[in-house]
Formats: sequence, C-alpha cells, structure tokens
Amino acid sequence: MTDAVVAIDNLSIDYVVGAGRFRAVSEVTLEVPRGHVVGIVGETGCGKSTLAQAIPRLLPEPPATIGGGRILFEGTDLVQIPRWKMPAIRGTGINMIFQEPLNSLNPAFRIYDQVAEAVRIRKLRESGAVAVRRNEPPGPFDYSRRPNPTASDAWSGKIVPGGAVQEAVHRREVDRRAGGDRAALEKDVLDYLRLVRINDPETILNLYPHELSGGMRQRIMIAMALSEKPSLLIADEPTSALDVTIQAQVLTLMKELIEEVNTSILFISHDLGVIAETADELGVMYAGKLVEFGPVGDVFSSPRHPYTKALLRAAPTRYKSDGPLTSIPGNVPNLSHPPSGCRFHPRCPIARPVCKVDPSPPLLAVEGAAANHRSACHFAKEVPGIP
Amino acid sequence: MGRSPSDLAVFIGKRLVQLVPVLFGIIVLTFVFTHISVTNCAVWFPHASKSTLANCQAQFSKPIVDQFWIYFVNLLHGDWGASVAGSPVYPAIAAGLPATLELVFASLFLMIVVGIPLGVIAAQSAGRWGDHLVRIFYLTGWATPTYLGAVIAAIFLAPYFGLPSHGEYTSSPPPFPQYTHMSVLDALLAGNLPWAVDAFKHLLLPAAVLAFINMGIATRMTRSSMLEVIPLDYVKSARMKGLSEFWVMYKHALRNSLITTTTVLGVTAGGLLAGTVVIEEVFGWPGIGAYAYTAIGGGGAAPNFDGAVAVVAVFAVGVVIANLIADILYGLLDPRVDWR
Amino acid sequence: MSGPTSSGSPRPPPTASAGRRTWNAVVGFMRVLRANPLTMAGFIIVCLIGVVALIVVVAPHLLTPYGPDQLTTDYNLAPSWQHPAGTDGIGLDIYSETLYALPLDLAIAFAIAGAAMIGGGGLGLVAGFWDRPGTAGGWVSIVVLRITDIFLAFPSLILALAIAVSLGRGVWQLIVAILLTWWPFYVRLVRGETLAVKHLPYVMAARAAGVTEGRIVLRHVLRNVLEPVVVYFTLDVGTVLVTLSTIGFVGLGLVYPSQAEWGSMMSYYQNAGLITAQPWTVLGPGVAIFVTVLAFSLLGDGLRDILDPRSRRVLAGTGTGSSATHEEPPVPVAEDQGELPTATEAPASG
Repeated sequence: MTDAVVAIDNLSIDYVVGAGRFRAVSEVTLEVPRGHVVGIVGETGCGKSTLAQAIPRLLPEPPATIGGGRILFEGTDLVQIPRWKMPAIRGTGINMIFQEPLNSLNPAFRIYDQVAEAVRIRKLRESGAVAVRRNEPPGPFDYSRRPNPTASDAWSGKIVPGGAVQEAVHRREVDRRAGGDRAALEKDVLDYLRLVRINDPETILNLYPHELSGGMRQRIMIAMALSEKPSLLIADEPTSALDVTIQAQVLTLMKELIEEVNTSILFISHDLGVIAETADELGVMYAGKLVEFGPVGDVFSSPRHPYTKALLRAAPTRYKSDGPLTSIPGNVPNLSHPPSGCRFHPRCPIARPVCKVDPSPPLLAVEGAAANHRSACHFAKEVPGIP
Repeated sequence: MGRSPSDLAVFIGKRLVQLVPVLFGIIVLTFVFTHISVTNCAVWFPHASKSTLANCQAQFSKPIVDQFWIYFVNLLHGDWGASVAGSPVYPAIAAGLPATLELVFASLFLMIVVGIPLGVIAAQSAGRWGDHLVRIFYLTGWATPTYLGAVIAAIFLAPYFGLPSHGEYTSSPPPFPQYTHMSVLDALLAGNLPWAVDAFKHLLLPAAVLAFINMGIATRMTRSSMLEVIPLDYVKSARMKGLSEFWVMYKHALRNSLITTTTVLGVTAGGLLAGTVVIEEVFGWPGIGAYAYTAIGGGGAAPNFDGAVAVVAVFAVGVVIANLIADILYGLLDPRVDWR
Repeated sequence: MSGPTSSGSPRPPPTASAGRRTWNAVVGFMRVLRANPLTMAGFIIVCLIGVVALIVVVAPHLLTPYGPDQLTTDYNLAPSWQHPAGTDGIGLDIYSETLYALPLDLAIAFAIAGAAMIGGGGLGLVAGFWDRPGTAGGWVSIVVLRITDIFLAFPSLILALAIAVSLGRGVWQLIVAILLTWWPFYVRLVRGETLAVKHLPYVMAARAAGVTEGRIVLRHVLRNVLEPVVVYFTLDVGTVLVTLSTIGFVGLGLVYPSQAEWGSMMSYYQNAGLITAQPWTVLGPGVAIFVTVLAFSLLGDGLRDILDPRSRRVLAGTGTGSSATHEEPPVPVAEDQGELPTATEAPASG
C-alpha cells in the first residue's frame, strides 16, 4: 500500500444530546494516499461533514465525542493527543477550506492581513522556532530540533538550511526575521494569490472580504490554505455555495492546482459530477457508514454497493431522455434509531433476511474488482446485476 | 469604498449635527421641569423667608417664552443659578466634573478589562459551569443596589484590604499644582510617585464598586455576540490556520463581537453616571455626583434646585456624548459600514 | 368522518385542545428550567418571595414575631435568635420590618413596571406599526420617537430623583416619578420588535389575504412582541426595585418608620448613623433587596437566553446547537406554529 498521509481506522463519532448519545459516524476506515485526491460523497446528513471536521479535531467536543478508533496522521494518532495540542498540527499539517465563502473570511480584516497571517505561521514553523516533529506527538517548543525530513518535504521546501536555525535561539528574534520581514511576506502573499489565478493581486490586498465576489473569496480561501503548504487539505463542499459558472471556474482551478501542488486532498461533496472530475479515489457514505470505497473510475463504472448504484442511477444525465427520474424509495434513517444490520436494507432492492441481522456488513474487498475496491454489502458480487 | 479620511469627517460631522436638536431638547426639558413645579416653590425652599418665596413666585409668573429666553441666555453666560445659600452652581460643577470623569473612566477601564474576558469565557463554556459562574458574578453586581455595594465596600472591604475609603488623597490639598483636577493624573504629571500611589489607592474601591455594579451589561453583550460569532466559518478557518485557541478567540472572534458590544456603551454611561451620585457620597469623592446628592436633598440637606437641574442636564449631555462615541466607534470597527 | 371528501378545500389537521396545549407548554417550561439550574433557582426564589409576600399580607403573625409598629424595649441589639436581624434605635425589630416592607416594595415595583410596559408598549406598538410617513400615524410616530429619544438621554435614576424632589414624598409621588422615566425603554423595545415583525413574510401574507389591520396587530404582531417584552419585564421588576430603593436611600421616597420600605429603612439607618455604629442594620433591608432583585434577574436573564432562538437549542436541553446534521429525537413539545389565516378569515366572496 502506498504511504498514506492520513489513515482513519474504525473511527466513530458520537453526539451527546440531552440524555442520550447518537452516533453520527460509525466505524469508518479509509486512507488518503499521499498525493492523491480522495472524494467522499453522500446525501445530507450522512456524516461526511462530521467526518471531515473530526479529522483535525474541529468539532466542539462537549457535544461531540470520539467514540472509538484512530486517526493516524504522519504517524500520530490524533485521537489520543489532547485537543489543545492540535494547533501545532493544523495549518501546516492539515488545513481545511469551507463551504460558505461569505463566512469563511474574517469580515473585520483586510485580505493581506489574513493571507499574511497564514504565511507567517508557516514561516515560523519552517524556521524551526516552532518544531513539529513528525513521528511523535507535538510537545512543548524545542528550539534545538528540526523537523524530520521526509521525501515529500523535498518538494514542499520544508527543509531549511541548518546554519540559520542554530542561530535563531530566541523566538522573538526569529519572529522578527521570519515573520517580520514585510517585503518577503508581501511577496509570498502575492505569489499565492497569483497561484489561484487572481490577476493583479496588488489591487485586492487592502480590500475587505465583503467588497469581493464569492468566487474571488473562495480563491483567496484556497490561497490562504495552500500558503501553509499542508500535507493534507480537507475541502468541505468548497463549490456547493457557488453559482454554477463560478463553480466551474473554481473546479478547474482546483484541478490545475492538484497537478501543481503536492498536497493530498480529501474532497467532500454531495455532487457526483464534481467528484468524478477531481478525485482519484472515492468513498460513499450512507447513514454514518462508509459503504463503498475504491478508485473513482471503478466505482462509477462498476459500483459494488446497491446504494452507490441507486445514487448513480438517480443522477440525471443529459443522455437519458426517456422515463421519469428515478429516486431511491424510502427515507434516510433517523440516526438515533438506525435500522438493524445493514442500514440500507429497508430501501435495498436486493435485501435478504441476513441483511437485517447485526452487525452491519464490514467494508471488504470485492472479488473480481480492483485491489482497493471495497464494499460493505454481503452481496457485493450481485450488484452489477441490478438493473 | 466610502471609508477614506474625508468620509470619516463627514460621518462624524453628520452625527455632531444630529446632536444639536437633542441637546436643545435637553435644555427645553430641564426648563420644563424647573417650571412645572411652579406651585412647589414651597417644596424647594421649605425654610425660605417670605421675600424669597415671593421672589420665586414672581419669577414664575412671567410669560413662558420670556422665562425660557432668560433661562437660555443665563445658561450660555455661565450663570447656572445658585443654591439657597447663594453659592453659584456653575463653578461648583466645573470643579467637580474632572473628579467624576476620573472615576467614570477608571470604572469603564475595569469594566472592559474584567467584563469582556468574562464574557468570552462565558461564551466558550456556554451552558456549562463557567457560564453559570460568570452569570452569578455579573448578576450579583447587577442586583446590588449602588448604596448597598458602596456601604459594604466602605465599611467591610476597605479595612480588610487596607484601602482608604474617603476622599481623593489622604491629606488635602496635594503639594503640587492640579492641572486636570484628576487626582491620579495630577500626581503623575507632577512626578510625585508616592502621592500618585496614594491617589490610586483612593480611586480603587469606588471605581471597583461602580464597575462591579455595571459590569453586567458589557459581560452579557460580549457573551451573546461571541455566541453568535463562534460557530461561524471564519473562526473555524482561524483555528485551521494553526492559531492557538487564545488567538482565535481574542483576535478573530472578539474583534467581530466588539462591533455589537460598543453599542451598549451608551446604556452603560447612564448607569455609571447615575451610580456616581451614591458612590461619591459614600466615599467622599469630590465630584458632581456628590454635588447632586446634596442638591437633591439627600441626607436631609436643603434642596438646591438650580444645582439639581444643572447636574441632571450635565449627566444627560454626558450620556448623549457617550452614545455619540459609541456610534462613531461602531462605524470605525465594522468595515462594512459606509461612512457616507 | 363520514361523507365523501368532495366538500371543497381539505380540512386542516386537528390541533390539540387548549388544555392539552397549556399542559404541553408547562411541561416544556419545566424541562427547560431543569436544563438551566440558575434560571430554575431564580424561578423558585421568585415563587417563594411571592408566597412570603402573600403570607405577610394575609397572616403576618405566621412569619413575624412582632407587629408592624411594635416597639420592643431592646434597643440596638445585634442579631440574635429573638431578633434575627437585630433591632434599631427605637426598638423596632429589623427582621419584622423588612418582611412588612416586602409586599409594598413588590407592589410598587410591579405597578411601575406594569404601567410602563402597558403605556410605553402601547406607544411603541403604534409608533412601530402605523409609522408610514405622511399619515396621521406617521406624525404620531415621529413625535413619540423624538420625545422618547430625549427622555432616554437622561440617566433614569437621576431624572427620577429630580422629579421626586419636585413632587414630594409619598407612595404615588414615588410611582409617578419613576414611571415618568421608565416608559421610554418600553417604547423603544416594543417599537423595535414591531418593526421586525411587520415585515415578516407571514404578516404580509395575512394582509394579502385580507385580514384586517387590527386583527393582524393583535394576533400576529402582539404574539411575537410579547416574548421579549415579558423577559424584559421580569428583569425590569428587579431594576425598578433597585431604583426605588435608591430613591428611598437618598431620602426622597417614603417616610420610615411610618411606612416600611427597604430604601427608606436604609436611609433612616444611614441618617441615624447606625450603619457605621451597628453594621448589621444593613443586613435586614439590604439582604432582602439583594435576594429579591437577584432572583428576578436570574429568572429574567435565563429566560432571555432561553427565548433567544440562537441559543435556544443549547440551553433548552433538546439539541446541540452545533452545525452537525442530525435529526432531532422525537419529543413532545408544544410548538407554536405561526398561523396562516384559516378559512374563516378569508373574504366571503368566491
């Protein structure tokens, strides 16, 4: 198996509601291979956003708790470390872009200040003033250590000449050198704004977010996130709130960036078309469970789970001009009382008595399909036969 | 977009212009009050001689417009009337105003420095024990009548903490020229450190009591606006950049909450000024609050009619100016406000 | 029931009876209280205070060992079992006097807040609803607003003090003095809420359906305005009480000991120099005011949070308040659905 940037192992996320608990994400296992784009699709309420926000421990943890499993990021189990240690991993390790461009940028600060803040954080960490050790949980700042170089670091430029680091003992001094050099900072900011295809970025530096369009704001969000050169970028429905034309532009941008930049991406969306265009691997979620996972081409051409098949069939295409739109009969289950056994069985065309029996079917490799094509269906082999 | 320095001048200018009718309304209203109680010359001057009473009645029997004109002109000339004993009102108020301002600013400072972080803490632990504790704290302040808090502080807390409970300085008058008549400031300007510390100690308890009682508004407002801001995506973005929770809260979230919090500045000003009446009386602070207390007849003193009216008007002007400042601050803090 | 369903428009779903809905509301309220311990504490104390006030009015001997003007021969005693709050210079038992003052203080506070709410609220409703420029209502609105703004410039305590001086001492003078400074708050509050509600889609829908203006005001606008006003009123009782007792303290309220009132009690002790000499005298009226105002404030403050739709889910104990997508577990809570005009209100023609 290729080296995975993040490996989620049997992760469950619970919400404590009043007296009860309910499980928003149930025992999900998936990996994001380094340099790949992994898409997660599912209907509203299937738990994909919860999963996405849980990876960097962004969910507010009094109502939400991690009910089990591990999140392995660069060798560290993010579930085990206390939440206050997460800021060291966020930004340069894992970063995230959100859905609403309206709300994603701070309305009180200018564009330059916001992007520069991100760049400054990266520079501080690169210079070794804030050490992020790769194979151990982040601890108190230790100025004498440098990040362990790995193969991907060579591209991302995280390795800094040693001599400069040894001299920078005092954080304040490094502050002034790495973060305080305004000209270098400004150049970086402009570079990243150009990277997201903003022409004449000098003109927008002093503007406030409310003075820019949604598409522009989303590009700036992407620039801000990429400027920290994260190993993993989580994109939580980044194009869902945009107009269709702007959506197309931003998508094209993202596809180009994926080629140019070596960041691995976890792309959450409810739009199958978007995922089809951008992802290398695809995971399908239903009612909190990951029901299918595999290379995107394989999953689209030969789905091995009844839900995936029904989803693909329900999506209207230009080519189908006969017959009414097909929809999946029934409703998404109430997660506080999920169906026993396989959660999809009440709506599944090939459900058998065994499907009602707990535990729900595990995510297993499918015979006759690609190596990492997995499905959580007892009868995955029969799915291609469903009309 | 409408936020250049010249636009700012227009923004402030417009509001200053809007002040004028309100100020005029205040003057008219205070005039109305003084002349409503025509029949109460006896109430205002209960022990006055017949001639004083006759004088009083005579004044009130001229036509209303004439009376107002006389009143208005006198105001502008600095003749704000006099007390029964004859001491003129204007110099007394001018002398006491800086002391009251010092007290109010000190309280405001404490309210901001203590009240706002408490509001942030309450928002961060919404519905849990941190929130409850903060709520008990500010509601306790809110529920304590000013005089009760002042009396308890002066009688019980002062000896306990070794703080003085009377006056601006331990011995008067201070051995340096009083340029501003604000005790701590004067001492600092004169470079006299021991006196500055002494003045500070005298300022501490009254300002603390005044702040404690009025803190509720600021804390509450901060708490509710933070609760609105914290779930927004840009706070999550700030977290994802790798900033520590402290900076996420106090730089990104608070900066936006403050926009709505400044709007309560005007309400706070009213409460602070009203509180000075009792606080200055109990702590012997020589400001216009204490002057108001005696002018109104507190503690059995002879009511000083002109003085009372003048103080009420001054306080009203203070509130109006505080609202003006709050309005301007709001325009400055929220980048979405167009100054034109 | 019987008969074909060809009778025209479909029947609206049956709503619960008024009794059932009230019960649901009470149950919901109780659950909300349990989720907010501080608010519940405030509610319990307020109820207790009400009960105590009732007892003092109806059967005072149950709680107070001494009559209202009963002079004992124990002067200036510290708190003891016989005199829980001590006695003052003329032999009155402070604890008893404090209790006797309770109904009067409460009554005055409620009277002022209530009158301000009704008067100021009414003005605010008019100023908010019928404020189209050019109409009679528009002129009234402008005048009301200007006057309100000017009144609001004065700190209410100071203004009340000044008015109290010119009116003299006595219960009615006290009420009028504070009332004159209190009504503007309600005008502003109710006007703001009315303006917000006026433009809600369902109000416009009601108008389009032909519902008369008066009915719209009563059913739709008033209902929505009522919630924040009730919350404000609860908090206001506390604030009025503080103002009222401060006026008493300054020496302008009622005369003690002929009329028992907490503020005038404190003023009496202050003038007699008792507070410095015998500090426990503060205990009686001071603690009483503090506890009463705190209770009303806890209740009002808690209610304000509970009724605020943004924090409603967190504090009402039924949701998480987060942006997680999940379905709410089914719970029987009486929900007030904004009502669209029913068939009976539609115009009679066609």
